[in-house]
Amino acid sequence: MTGIAELEVENESIAIISIVGAWSIYEKHSHAEEFIETILAKPSIQSVELKFVDLKSWDSVLINFLICILNSCEAKNLTVNVDNIPVGIRRLIELSKTSPVRSTSPAGQKKSTILEFIGRVGLLIFFSLRTFLGFTGKLWVGIISFIGGKVKIRGREFALVLQEVGAKALPIVFLISFLVGLIIAFVSVLQLSQFGANIYVADLVGISMMREMGCIMTGIIMSGRTGAAFAATIGTMIVNDEVDALQTAGFSTINFLVLPRVIALTLMMPLLCIFSSFIGIFGGLCAAISATDLTIVRYCAQTAKAVCLNDFFVGIIKSCFFGFLVAAIGCQKGLQCKRSAEDVGLTTTTAVVTSITAIIIMDAIFAVIFSLIGI
Amino acid sequence: MVPKISVKNLNMTYDNYVIMRNLSFDIQQGEIFLIIGQSGCGKSTLLKYLLGLKRVSHQKIFYDGKDINSVINVPGFYGEKIGVLYQGGALWSSMTLAENVALPLETYTPLNRKEIEEIVTLKLSLVGLKGFENFYPSQISGGMQKRAGLARAIALDPEILFFDEPSAGLDSVSAKRLDDLILELKESLGITVVIVTHDLASIFAIGTRAIYLDVESKTITAMGVPHELLASSNDKNVIAFLSRGTKTVQG
Repeated sequence: MTGIAELEVENESIAIISIVGAWSIYEKHSHAEEFIETILAKPSIQSVELKFVDLKSWDSVLINFLICILNSCEAKNLTVNVDNIPVGIRRLIELSKTSPVRSTSPAGQKKSTILEFIGRVGLLIFFSLRTFLGFTGKLWVGIISFIGGKVKIRGREFALVLQEVGAKALPIVFLISFLVGLIIAFVSVLQLSQFGANIYVADLVGISMMREMGCIMTGIIMSGRTGAAFAATIGTMIVNDEVDALQTAGFSTINFLVLPRVIALTLMMPLLCIFSSFIGIFGGLCAAISATDLTIVRYCAQTAKAVCLNDFFVGIIKSCFFGFLVAAIGCQKGLQCKRSAEDVGLTTTTAVVTSITAIIIMDAIFAVIFSLIGI
Repeated sequence: MVPKISVKNLNMTYDNYVIMRNLSFDIQQGEIFLIIGQSGCGKSTLLKYLLGLKRVSHQKIFYDGKDINSVINVPGFYGEKIGVLYQGGALWSSMTLAENVALPLETYTPLNRKEIEEIVTLKLSLVGLKGFENFYPSQISGGMQKRAGLARAIALDPEILFFDEPSAGLDSVSAKRLDDLILELKESLGITVVIVTHDLASIFAIGTRAIYLDVESKTITAMGVPHELLASSNDKNVIAFLSRGTKTVQG
């Protein structure tokens, strides 16, 4: 049997609602709206009486039904006889009424007009830019103080970060760089073999790995691996009050958390870039000797002839900047994290997306600069 | 006598949402001052304002009569002047307990390594964690993390100790032990203690004075000795909040 309510009007002025059966959120039941409509449609009704006949069981659905009836009647100044309501139900209804209602809602939940929305977006961009510039300024002050010997980095912590961002990243850098070299070589062979110019596969792979792909691929891997880890670690520290504890113990978060990470990644990125470039060339070699009649010696000799020292240094310089960017963005996003697990995830995602975008933009700027100065 | 901490007409906001208005109170040297109130009333936010972790305009919060904005950047304010125990201990997870306690000593004092090790052992002994020096925070229980956090907070013998919900997550025996420890530290070191709490047993056991932050009127509705507040306050929320405490204490 489901929860049923029946309405009858006595003497044109008293509405009697009889509540019967088993009221459950899992079963069909009567809804308060239809009764309220009927009652309000008859202005002659002055009072409402609730009768509980053969009530088998009840749960939240009956309490909700009664609260709707009571509130509507109260709003229309109708008298409701609540004496018959079972004690347990009455207690819960009273308890729900004692909960204080907050007089104002948080600012963020307010509906806004288009102009307000544009203004809010403008302010958000302004404050984000201000925060980023503030962070960059503090970071450079930290770096200069470190170079000047005024700030010290804890040796053990720094060594751990170096190991984390350097040695432990080698396997993934190896895999990705090898495959990228392999892919470039295979694509090149397909085109160059039509002109009998297979030998130039070595040029293409060598120059692209040294100048572009080595540093970009390493930068992207580091964004997804290390930048994300920095953001997540610092974000979690914020959630656990560890960053507040650092501040209230008198330590600068920039010097303590950011500086070791930025310096470590800026130092490690060129090494990883060199490693990536050589592994990429090795991948190209494997593809070239398996797909063409080139020998290892010819391929290596052609690579040595094609790649000059400028290409090598271009990759190194770019990788230093990419390392700095990835670490700084990861740490900055981590420090902006709020105090929930969801925010840690969001912060990590933002850090990866921002640093990959920054790497591509920075690479484009470098391409323009290097072409202008003829390198 | 100049109060240790003085708050004058402070308005607290969270994401542009005003949570408390016109807060004014003084905390005297050597007292155990409690900030109490219902969940969500802004107790922890007030603590952040007092610690200088949230920016406040000039002439609102004073330490020994000096504006907080002029003292927070003075070397030694954090660590030497104030120590903080956070709700979860907030130990630095990449360091052992000994390293957590030793770091402020290494950074701010000229002590040699041997002396630092001895002081670390002393502080960990005070909180009952002798022998756990080489454990990482993840290897010990929540209650132990909290005690280790206290050892770190008192590493530099600060003048004022702040506690954010010290007994949260602790069983009644551990909470009582922590209360005793706070009393002991206050008596023996003469420090001023500021505690954010809604643990009623602690409120009546160790509190010298308390303020009640009322979530409905968004201001302080009661200030005084906890037992007297219960006896004399006319505010129904204060009575409801504290009367549960008397039952707990008496029971």
